[in-house]
Amino acid sequence: MEALKLKLKQQIIEALNLQDTKPEDIDDNAPLFGEGLGLDSIDSLELMVLLERHYHIKVEDPREGRKILQSVQSMAEFIQSKQPA
Amino acid sequence: MKGKYYIQGSAAISPQESFFGSFTPQMPVVEGPLNRLRAKEPDYSGFITPNNLRRMSRVLKMGLVAALKCLQNSDIAIPDAIVTGTGRGSLQDTERFLHNIRDYAETALNPTPFIQSTYNSVNGLIALQQKCTRYNNTFVHRGFSFEHALLDGMMQLAEGRADVALVGAFDEMTDEHFYIKSRLGMWKTALTQPADLFTSGTTGTLSGEGAAFFTIGTTPGIARLDGIRMVYKPSRQELHAALESFLAQHRVAVTDIDLLISGQNGDTRYDQFYQQLTRQFFPQTAVQYFKPLCGEYETAGAFALWMAVQTLQAQGLQHVLVYNHFFGEQHTFFLLSAV
Repeated sequence: MEALKLKLKQQIIEALNLQDTKPEDIDDNAPLFGEGLGLDSIDSLELMVLLERHYHIKVEDPREGRKILQSVQSMAEFIQSKQPA
Repeated sequence: MKGKYYIQGSAAISPQESFFGSFTPQMPVVEGPLNRLRAKEPDYSGFITPNNLRRMSRVLKMGLVAALKCLQNSDIAIPDAIVTGTGRGSLQDTERFLHNIRDYAETALNPTPFIQSTYNSVNGLIALQQKCTRYNNTFVHRGFSFEHALLDGMMQLAEGRADVALVGAFDEMTDEHFYIKSRLGMWKTALTQPADLFTSGTTGTLSGEGAAFFTIGTTPGIARLDGIRMVYKPSRQELHAALESFLAQHRVAVTDIDLLISGQNGDTRYDQFYQQLTRQFFPQTAVQYFKPLCGEYETAGAFALWMAVQTLQAQGLQHVLVYNHFFGEQHTFFLLSAV
């Protein structure tokens, strides 16, 4: 799980071009939108693309997306839940 | 078009040191291996927040910041109209989007390059940044892109729809697009320095890029924009007749022109237009060539107009004429006068 969260942070930084942000700057449980990283609705679409491209997970329901993209922790938990046991 | 139009302020990002302070033309150096002049970009962080900056491609930053600097120079926060021209739009974003389509088999496509690949992205960004909800338009007409934007801006003033219009142009070059255009014979094949552009005796020219913006209004400013004349694919006779009627329309004789700013670019296929016109009408007039300074691109005319404003002011000239054409097809005259 820890390795997945670190990888996810690196992918978020790269996908959103967060130039001055390092993985250790991102709190696992901090909200990605509004406060925290201060991301917006276009970023949420970019994160959906990230999930699809790197983890082959397609989020179809926007309401579900809102929950998944709450924090790095929630994203990692969602990815893990979709991976074959 | 009747009425008086004045340039209130301007700003440019180009291969010259054009963004800060006074302008002194300097012959740039092509570093190779491509015959390409690159814009000297300023530090954008003073104009755009880091959170917005991270998402923007190069031409968006150039266009937005040139526009913001122009507004700042003109002491105007919200213009009544934002009108721009671009020949290529955001190539970087367009290419990224197309590559994504190819690489990911039309799935999982990033929204950012798609949104920003549209030609009117810069206009949208300016409007968002300045909270301007008024007239907003972008023209994409190859070598007439900036010219139509300027004409539209003037028409907004003439019809009383705007007191001040922000008018500008932006274009970038990428390695991939340079290659595509090289296949069409646009660029010189042997590495050519701008200083040697007119003596190379070969076809093609140097590629360029940049952004230039102006605020225009009906109250006296830093220069008077007397008019603009566009001529599409003219014969030599048609071109010369267009110049004569253009100057006559503004009651300016050829001998009144203090300076001709010429778009001659060293392409032996099309330089004859410039050479014949200069020989016939302006044999004694001072001529400045702007393409060695900024390179060739669809909206290079905006850089020429910016340079005309700077030179008119710096040298205290009365009348400056700009003549430019884009690969022999879209020909334009701008006439500027002292206020």
